[in-house]
This record gives sequence, structure tokens and C-alpha cells, in this order.
Amino acid sequence: MKKILALVMAMVLVLGLVACGETGAAGSNEEGLSAQTLKVGAIYINSKNDTAGYTFAHHSGITAAMKELGMDTEKQLFIVDEVPEKKDDVLAAVDTLVGNGVNIIFGISFGYIDAMEEAAAEYPNVIFSHGTGYKSNETNFNNYFGRAYQARYLAGIAAGLKSLELGNNNVGYVAAHTTDYAETASGINGFALGVQAANPNAKIYVKNLNNWADEVNEKAYAEELINSYNCGVISQHCDSAQPQIAAQTAGVFGCGYNSDMTPDAPKAHLTAAIWNWNVYYRTAMEAAIKAGTADKFVATMGTSAYYGGLKEGFVDVSPLSENCAENTDKAIKAVKELIISGEWDVFTGVKLEIAADGTVTQKDAALESNGFQHKDGDFKVPMENVEVVAAGGASVEDGVITGTMNYLVAGVEEV
Amino acid sequence: MGMHIVKRENLPLWQKVCLYVGAVAAALLLGAVLLLAIGVDPIAYYNRMFTLGTVGNPIAYKVYANYLADLVPLVLTSLALSLAFKMKFWNIGGEGQFIMGALATAVVAIKLGGVLPTAVVLILMCLAAMVAAGIYGLIVAALKVKFGTNETLLTLMLNYVALYLLTYLMETKVPWNFLLDPTAVRPVPQSFDKMVKFPSIPLVGKFSLNVCVIFVVLIGLLIHVYLRRTKQGYEISVVGDSAGTARYAGMKVGPIVLRTVFLSACLIGLAAAFKVGSTGILSTTITEDVGWTGIIVAWLAQLNTWAIFLVSALVCVLHYGSTVAAATFAQVDSSFANMLQGVILFLVLAADFFTRFRVVMVKKGGSDHGNG
Amino acid sequence: MTEEYAIQLSGITKAFGSVVANKNIDLNVRQGEILALLGENGSGKTTLMNMLSGIYQPDSGTIRVNGKEVSIHSPEDAKRLGIGMVHQHFKLVDVFSAADNVWMGREKAGFRLKRNRYAEMEAIAKKFGFDIDPRKKVCNMAVSEKQTLEIIKVLSYGAKIIILDEPTAVLTVQEIQKLFTVLRKMKDEGHSIIIITHKLGEVMEISDRVAILRKGEYITTVNTAETDEQALTEWMVGRKVDLNIDRPAMEKTKPLLELRDVCIRSDEGTTAIDGVSFYIRGGEILGVAGIAGCGQKELCEAIAGLRPIEKGQMIHKGDNIVGLPPRVILEKGISMSFIPEDRLGMGLAPSLSITDNMLLKNYADAKGPFVDRKQGRADAQQVIRELEVVTPSTETPVRRLSGGNVQKVLLGREIKAGPNVLVTAYPVRGLDIHSSYAIYDILNRQKKDGVGILFVGEDLDVMMALCDKILVLCHGKVMGVVHAHKTTKEELGLMMTGSLDLTNKYEDKPAGIAKDSLFGDGQQKVEG
Repeated sequence: MKKILALVMAMVLVLGLVACGETGAAGSNEEGLSAQTLKVGAIYINSKNDTAGYTFAHHSGITAAMKELGMDTEKQLFIVDEVPEKKDDVLAAVDTLVGNGVNIIFGISFGYIDAMEEAAAEYPNVIFSHGTGYKSNETNFNNYFGRAYQARYLAGIAAGLKSLELGNNNVGYVAAHTTDYAETASGINGFALGVQAANPNAKIYVKNLNNWADEVNEKAYAEELINSYNCGVISQHCDSAQPQIAAQTAGVFGCGYNSDMTPDAPKAHLTAAIWNWNVYYRTAMEAAIKAGTADKFVATMGTSAYYGGLKEGFVDVSPLSENCAENTDKAIKAVKELIISGEWDVFTGVKLEIAADGTVTQKDAALESNGFQHKDGDFKVPMENVEVVAAGGASVEDGVITGTMNYLVAGVEEV
Repeated sequence: MGMHIVKRENLPLWQKVCLYVGAVAAALLLGAVLLLAIGVDPIAYYNRMFTLGTVGNPIAYKVYANYLADLVPLVLTSLALSLAFKMKFWNIGGEGQFIMGALATAVVAIKLGGVLPTAVVLILMCLAAMVAAGIYGLIVAALKVKFGTNETLLTLMLNYVALYLLTYLMETKVPWNFLLDPTAVRPVPQSFDKMVKFPSIPLVGKFSLNVCVIFVVLIGLLIHVYLRRTKQGYEISVVGDSAGTARYAGMKVGPIVLRTVFLSACLIGLAAAFKVGSTGILSTTITEDVGWTGIIVAWLAQLNTWAIFLVSALVCVLHYGSTVAAATFAQVDSSFANMLQGVILFLVLAADFFTRFRVVMVKKGGSDHGNG
Repeated sequence: MTEEYAIQLSGITKAFGSVVANKNIDLNVRQGEILALLGENGSGKTTLMNMLSGIYQPDSGTIRVNGKEVSIHSPEDAKRLGIGMVHQHFKLVDVFSAADNVWMGREKAGFRLKRNRYAEMEAIAKKFGFDIDPRKKVCNMAVSEKQTLEIIKVLSYGAKIIILDEPTAVLTVQEIQKLFTVLRKMKDEGHSIIIITHKLGEVMEISDRVAILRKGEYITTVNTAETDEQALTEWMVGRKVDLNIDRPAMEKTKPLLELRDVCIRSDEGTTAIDGVSFYIRGGEILGVAGIAGCGQKELCEAIAGLRPIEKGQMIHKGDNIVGLPPRVILEKGISMSFIPEDRLGMGLAPSLSITDNMLLKNYADAKGPFVDRKQGRADAQQVIRELEVVTPSTETPVRRLSGGNVQKVLLGREIKAGPNVLVTAYPVRGLDIHSSYAIYDILNRQKKDGVGILFVGEDLDVMMALCDKILVLCHGKVMGVVHAHKTTKEELGLMMTGSLDLTNKYEDKPAGIAKDSLFGDGQQKVEG
């Protein structure tokens, strides 16, 4: 037995030597990358063969972008999937991908953040691009996310107009998380402000799943919002279409998320805030090819934190269904133009007022929180200054929206 | 024809080897059929899997390092479990003990890292992990010795207690919870690899060997000597074989059980210290199921110290190799890789069964009156 | 012609792994006869009968019942064919009444417990002359009652062919007589009975014919009336055997080990040994007789220090040893070799080698943290040589050895320790005749060396031949100590059942207390 073991050990070491000697520089990037030579790596939180949900959305985005660029997704794409948010596992996945000679690695889950940062330092010849994160460097490491709040604001308008039509001011929101993540807080706030633009008397009730995916409770929470809080429109920040289906069953309406959920609940669904991940992935891949070497990637992108919105087409709302109230189309179109043109944005000291005929007017008004913030593990710590942005003031910083927004706006209640 | 199962006495070694090799071959064949069904070239896949993707890999040295990082906790946990199993103390609590060790390691690293010299902190991390895991195992041993409780059930249940404690600590962002990163808004585990980490020794080319690997080999040697040569090891064998005999020979069975289980759990704690001390961060999936896999390894290795090294090495090849291979083939996701692993392990366990038992076919003569 | 036979076995072969338990066996059982199936332990008797009762299936060969060829796949098949077996280990539900146990196993028991089940059972009992209360729960029954119940069970299912596996092993002499009366009655009713045994006396008494197996092979079948014990033994063993056991006369020493009014509890907390007094002198063998489970195990364990003594005194060479740990008792020279039913449960570690088993008692004496296997190997070699242990090597696990060799290893180790008191329980259980005699020789040699031996045994014939005195236990109480050469089996049987109490036979001296007791010294030591 000892001999066998020694033999195995020796073999492993010899193999190691041979392999080490084979090539010199790790992940060497030849000059003049093209769509035909670029190798893409991806690290997924769930299976690459998923047919719905978060990983599916990213995988579809990456493959769509590659096809747009005329790349071969079988030979040029390498994926390590089902990687938990655990540093050594992520680093091992990076090693596997770098071992396959990839030029750019997309990590899609927030928890990969530290590992991505470390790997970017270790492999300066490979580009690291981290979704939903906030870390980056000046050369080969960026992060990317989208202004989902803009799309949610538009969906909010549809919901607000519907609530007016229904004569029911109660709107529900099934949330994966609330104030513990800036992503979820900004989503809720964007939606709430959209609703209030159409229906200033609306009240938004939020139920916290405390979980990114939980089909059973997604349904149960929607039902509770409908039954106990008399909500007439249900919005959601969670993976499945269960809240929409629950709304249809109860005969109320809803706004979906991630993809057009009209097929899931044709009688209830209004419109959904959606992501077009391929927009970023294509941008990033094109930048990688243009940069030639990894160290020029961030410079080529122009920023180390890609934050695309309606303007880039990175986020949007799905086509409005027949369930929408009259003039929803007109109002959303007008607001979309305001945002794309850069004339106005959601978290500013200027509020929009949407009339029943769909016309949009601007009015200076302070952006106020509902009086509480999330701090030190406690969800309800009173805020000293309820006024977040003074009337007429400029938008809050992007860093707040992506990183530190830990409050909900006035009119929102967590239940 | 009917069949029944008969216990085998001593099968020659070569036949055993043949059976195991045959089982692996059968599993691979089955896997090949499945791979073909989803349109993957099985030879290319297996090639990638068994070479761990090192062929043509510019950073093969990393592969070895990662592979060894997987191997170290598994070997040590399996070795530790073999101590308890030798005594017929069915310690199913490797997971729980590992978690307790991991927590203790992280606490020491975060509180003392950078305060005391690295070497001192590393030693304290190991000691803390060993004591924490050891006590966690000792609870069950003490209950068994004192009240005759069933250790299988208790160690199993304590796994979940430990797991939920860890999950709670990893997800609860409150000021007192120093295990989480205070600078992050979300609950992110505090990383301490900048302050304290087990060193690696540069060996060949860019490959550096984590010192834990050397420790584990040394520990394996010590355990071998401990079980085979020492009085305490002898006592473990006798207690495991027949507690009545041990008592009759004047052995204090209670204390021997306590001592051995403590030692077993301590070593699992040490495995956790090696793991956490090498990655520099805690997480809810820190055990990577070594507490479970270790049971299979110890069983397949028939509690033989060196066989544990060999079996662990092969299980890790399977585990690591299938992840690596899955990266290259679009159709294969890690679920498929896991399934293939499962098939191989299952068939090897079946082969293991056939080294201990055999099936006899019975010819039945004449007419059948009773229809049994 | 074939109608004459209830059962015909021809060419039956059965192997377990590489061990052939039955090889090409032919055996016929006539209608309405008692056939004794005789053979040493391991000769394949039980295996053969298990094939008749459907527990095993033969690898080859045919079975005919009443002339018709059948195959028996399960005990249910056997039941349907009218074959019933009473096993050595009873298969009864403890918390059920006798009648419920019978009812439960019936082919068509139905869903509901019928009220007349008690009456039905009583009718069967009456017919064959059994004495049993149908309402009594099994857990309250004596061993003989349980056996009776098993036989009634088999009869009530309509079995015409009844197999009894070593039925007398658990019975007293008187109970055996009762059983035989019942068996004869069953025979008269037309039942065929096969009785498995290795006790020659019983064979001669009860059977019409004797079939003999040896090492898995069929030897012959003879009419009981035309043979004798010596001839049967030769067939059974395969050569001439001297059936006499030596009892060397020795000069006895002062009492080595004395017990006075000792009470010991069983695992369940009941009183297992109740006020027992006896003593052992150097150079004598004191037998302990009693029905199984009447306190022998607890007594042995208590002497070895493994079980607390609730009350009373235990004096070794004048020193009180009550409450001392096992190791200290060992060091005083009191050795125990106790072989429980599974033979390897105490005294040996079955998976360990002979060498390791040799080390069991003295491994701690080696200096430093390591075990001295050199010494163990030397000891193992010596025991193998001196006691003629058959083994491939000193490193062979003990469980691979045959029963006799296991006993030799165990006794060899105990003797090597140079004890002055040797406690040995059932040392020949499961051994063939040759091995048994080898063990008797070893014990006698120890006796000649002045060792005091406590011999807990089963076979009264052997005890009467080997022991100097016999102490009889009944339900944890001493029924008296008798001189082995003066007593009779009947007297011992009566004492074992508690019908005869000889404790106060001699008015000048209560049983179990030595005239030259060292007890007084001991007591002073204890008090001082």
C-alpha cells in the first residue's frame, strides 16, 4: 500500500513538472484578439442548464451576445456552474477557466466579489467582470449592474394608473429582500415612486421573503398581500411568476420581473421590469477585443463600474398587456424619453405628475424616506433626516443606489 | 433458479482489486453511454477528467494546489473517523465537528491575527479547532458512556445543530458578529487571509506545497503507528472487537471511548483548521461534505491508514476532475458530473459488498409443490 | 415401497462458501418412528434439518415427503407439507400468552382473536399429556415450558413430522423424562420424530433408529436395539475413543477462594445470586451445575470483578477482594475464561490475532507507550506448541479458528498467567469429543499443579466424572455441594429444579463453609 501511494504521489508531481514546463506565462493574451479567438469564461451560481431564473437569464445573455458577435458558444465559452459563494471554490473555478485559456471571466453572483478581486490581481492577463458587485481596479477588473430602478419606475406607472382605475390605493410588493440590500431597496423605491407619480394616494405594502428564490412563499406572500392588505396590484422582486399567478387567481393585477410574465398570467399581468443582459455582455466582449490586452480593458470600457439603464437598453419594461389602464402606454413612453434624454431621473428632488390622460408634468418636491433605515442588523432604526434629497435637488449618487440605499421612500410600508 | 447471499471468507487481494477496477470500469461505461446520449465524446471527457484538465494547461500548478487543498481535509477527516470506527463508535458527526473546528479557527484568526506572530496564531487556531471539535464529539461519547445513548443518532443530530449555528452566524449582520466583514453592507464573511494563513513552500516551477499536506502525511504516519504499535491503539482494537473482553482484561472501557472519540473529533477539528486556515475565510458550505464523504472513504479503505490516503486521492480526482471536465463541455453541467460521481461510488460500494459476500444461484430439481 | 417412508433425502449437498456442511446425504425416516440424528458439533445435523424446515435450500439433491418429490422454499412450505421444527433458540413472542403464540403462527389465523383459542390449545395439551397453562405469558415461563409450547405450536399446525434440535440441552433430568414420555405418545399417534442430539445416553433411551453424520457426511443408520454407545461413538468420531475421564486424586490445600453469603444482581436488576457460600481449595475441581441462566454468568463475572457484589464477602487467600477492579483481581492470580453462547464474547477479541489475544491481560506491563508484540508472539507460539493449537500462524484472527482451538487459545493464555484460581465456564461447549478430552486434560494438569478450578458445566455425566465436588445452583441459591463420585444424575436433577435441598444435610457443617476457613483472618483484615 505504501508503495502504491508513493507511486501515485510521484506521478502527480511528475505530471506537475511536465505541465509547468509546457508553457510559460499564465493566461497569455496574444495581441490582436478577434471575435474568433476570444475565449469567454463564466462562473454561475446555479446550473448552466437551468430553464428559468437568474443563472438562466445571464447564460442566455452571454450566449446571445456571443451569437451576435458571430462566436462559437461550444468552443469559445467555458463555464463552471453551481459554484457557491465561497472564496476558495470561486478561486478554484477561476483557475479552471484560466487553465482553459479564457480571456475574460464573468462572475454573476454578488458573493464572488472578494474572490474576483483577488483573482484579478493574480491573473493580470485575464479580464474579470463581476455582476452586481462594487469592487474594481484600474486595469482588468470591473463590475456591472443595471438601473433596474428605472424600469421599475415605468412598471410603477402602469401599476399606479391601474390602481386609479380600480379605485384601490393598495399596491403589494413581494420582495426577495428589502433594506438589507441596496439593490432591493432601490427597486422597491423606484417602483413606489412610479406608482405615486400616477396615484399620489397609493400605499405600497412590501413583504420580505428574505430569500432570492422561494417559490412556495412567493405565492403565499402574494396571497397574503391580496387577502390581508386588500392589494389590487402585486409587483415582485423574485425569480418565479408565482406572485403573478396568485394575482390572476385572485382576480387582481400585477407587474412581473426578469422576463415578460404575460404568458404566465395573461389576465393579471400588466408589464414587467426586464433585463437585457446581452447588452452588457456584448459591450464587454467588444471592449475586450478592442482592448487587445487585459490591462487596457477598464480604459476601453471608459469606467470600472458599468451601470447601464434604459438609455443603453440594458433594462426595460416588457410590452404592455391588454390589462393596462388607458393611456399607460402614452405615460410610459413620455417618461422613458425623459430618462433616456437625461433630462430627469428617479431619485431626484423633482417629481413627475402623471395625469389620467397620460400627460407628464415635473414638479420640485423633496425625496423623503418613510422615516426608518436599516442599520446594524436592525431593520427599523429611525432616520434623523427624513429628507433624502431637497426639493429641486440633483439625483442621489450612483454609489448610493448600488451600495448604501438602506431606506424605503415615504408611502412604503414593510409588513 | 433462485439466489441467495453467502458471506465470503478472505478473497485474494488480486481478486479484490479486479472487482474494484471492474466496478469503476462498469461505472465509466455507463457514464459513457449517458455522455453519448447528450452528445459528448466520452473519451475526450474522461481524458479531461482523469488528467484534471492539466494537459495543455498553462497553470497546471494551480490545479495541483487546488486538488491538494481538496484532499487535505478529506484525508484527515477520514483518518479521524477511522479511529472512532475501529472502536465501533459510529461517529456520523464529522460535519458538525468540522464546523465547530472551523468556527473556532475563524474566531482565533480574526481576534488574534495580526496581534500575535503568525506562527503563534496558526498554532492557536489549530488548538482551538481541536478543542472545539473535540468537545463537540466528547459530548456524544460522554452520553454514550454514561447513559448508553446511541451515538449514531446523536452525532447525526448535532451535525444540524452546528450547521444552523454556522448559518446563523454567517447571515446575521449585527455589531457583535465579528465573523462578518464590518465594512460590507451585506452579510459577507470576514476574510483574514491577509493576516494569517498556512504558508506554502515553493517547490518546482510555480508549484508551492501547502504545509498542511506535509502535516497530514505526518499525521497519517503517527496514526498508523498509534493504531498498530501503541497500547492505546491496542485498546481501541480490543474495545472495538469486544467491549466485554476489554472490560475483562481490566481496560477502563468508558475512558477509552472518551479518549478515542475526543481524539477522533480533535483531528476533524484540525482538518477544519487546515481548511479554514488555508482559505482564510469561513462560509456556510465550508465542510464540502467531508464529514459524509469521509465515512465512505474510511469504509472503502477498510479503516487502513494508507488505503485511506489512496481512496481519498481517487475520490478527489473524481470530484475535482468532473468539475474541470464539465467546464469544457457545454452539455455537461455539474449536476451531471455529480451524478457520474455517484454512479462510480455506488458501483465501487457494490464491488465492496461482493468482496465480503457472494451470490449463489441455486438449481431447483423436480416439481414444485410449495410455491415459496 | 416408498410409502413406508415419511421422508426420504437423497444426495443432499449444501455448502456455505467453501465449507461443505452437507455432502451427498441420504436419509430416510419411517412413518411413526423416533429417529435420532447423531453427530458431533459441526457434523451438519442442524443444517440438514434446516433444509427440511425450509430455512435453507439444498444446492443439490432431492427431498421426498410421503413418497412425493418436493422442494421446500420457506418454513411456510414446510408447514404445508406437515413438517415442523422446534429450534434450539425458541421463536416465541415474550409478551403474548401461550395460546396467542400458537394462534399467531397459524396458516389462516384470520383477523380476529377467537375466544376458543384457549380451549383448543388445552385439547391438544391433554391429548399428548402436556402440562401447560394456555393463559400464561411466555415471559413468565420456565425454559421447559417454552419448549413444551414450541412443540404444541408445531402439533397444532398439523405437523406429522416433527424435528427437535437438541431438545434436552436446556432440560433437567426429570424434565427430560417428561419430554420423552410425550415423544413416545406422539409416536403412538403416528407422528414421525427426528431428534437431533449428541448425547449417547438419550439416543439409546428414546430412539428406534440412529442415523449418524460425521463432518457433513452420512455414515450409517442402525437400529438402536442392535448397537451400543461405544459403537455409536466410533461411528460419530471415526475412530476408537476412550470415554473415561480422569479424576486424579490430589493433596488439597487450604481454601484459596471463599465466598460467604454473596448476593449479586443481574443486568435487569433482579437478584441473580442470592446468599451463596462456597470455597475452592487448591488441587480440586469444583463443578457448578444448574439450569441455564440460574446465576452462573453473574457469579463468574463477580469473581472476576466485572460485576459488583451487592452483599457478602469474597476472600482470596485470606484477603477481602470485594470491590477490587478486574486488573487487581487478575494480578492476584484469579483467572477467568468464560465462554458465553457466542463463544467469543468475553475473554477473547475475535478479530484480533492469536498474538494480540495473548497480550490481552499483560499488554500494559510493557514499558513505554508501545505494545510488546514480540512477547505476545512468543507466548502465542508456546501455547500453540504446548496445547497443539491448529492454526496457520500466530497472526491468524481468532475467529478463523475452530471451536476447540479457540478454547485452547483462551485456556492457554489463562494458564500462562500462572493462576492459582481458574474459573472456567462451558469450556467444551460446541467442541467435538477429541477437543473436549484435550480440554479436560489441560484442566487436570492445572489441578495437579495445585490450582483451584471452578468448572461451570452443562453435561452432568462429564461433571460427575471430572469434578471432585459439585455445587448445584437453583435460581441463584445453593442447593448443596455434593461429592461427585457419590452423587447420581437424578439427585443432581432434583437439586437443579429446587426439589431437593441438601444445604443442611450435615448438621455440624453448613454447606459451602470450609472447616479450616481463612475467613476469620480476612474479616479482621477488612475491619482493620
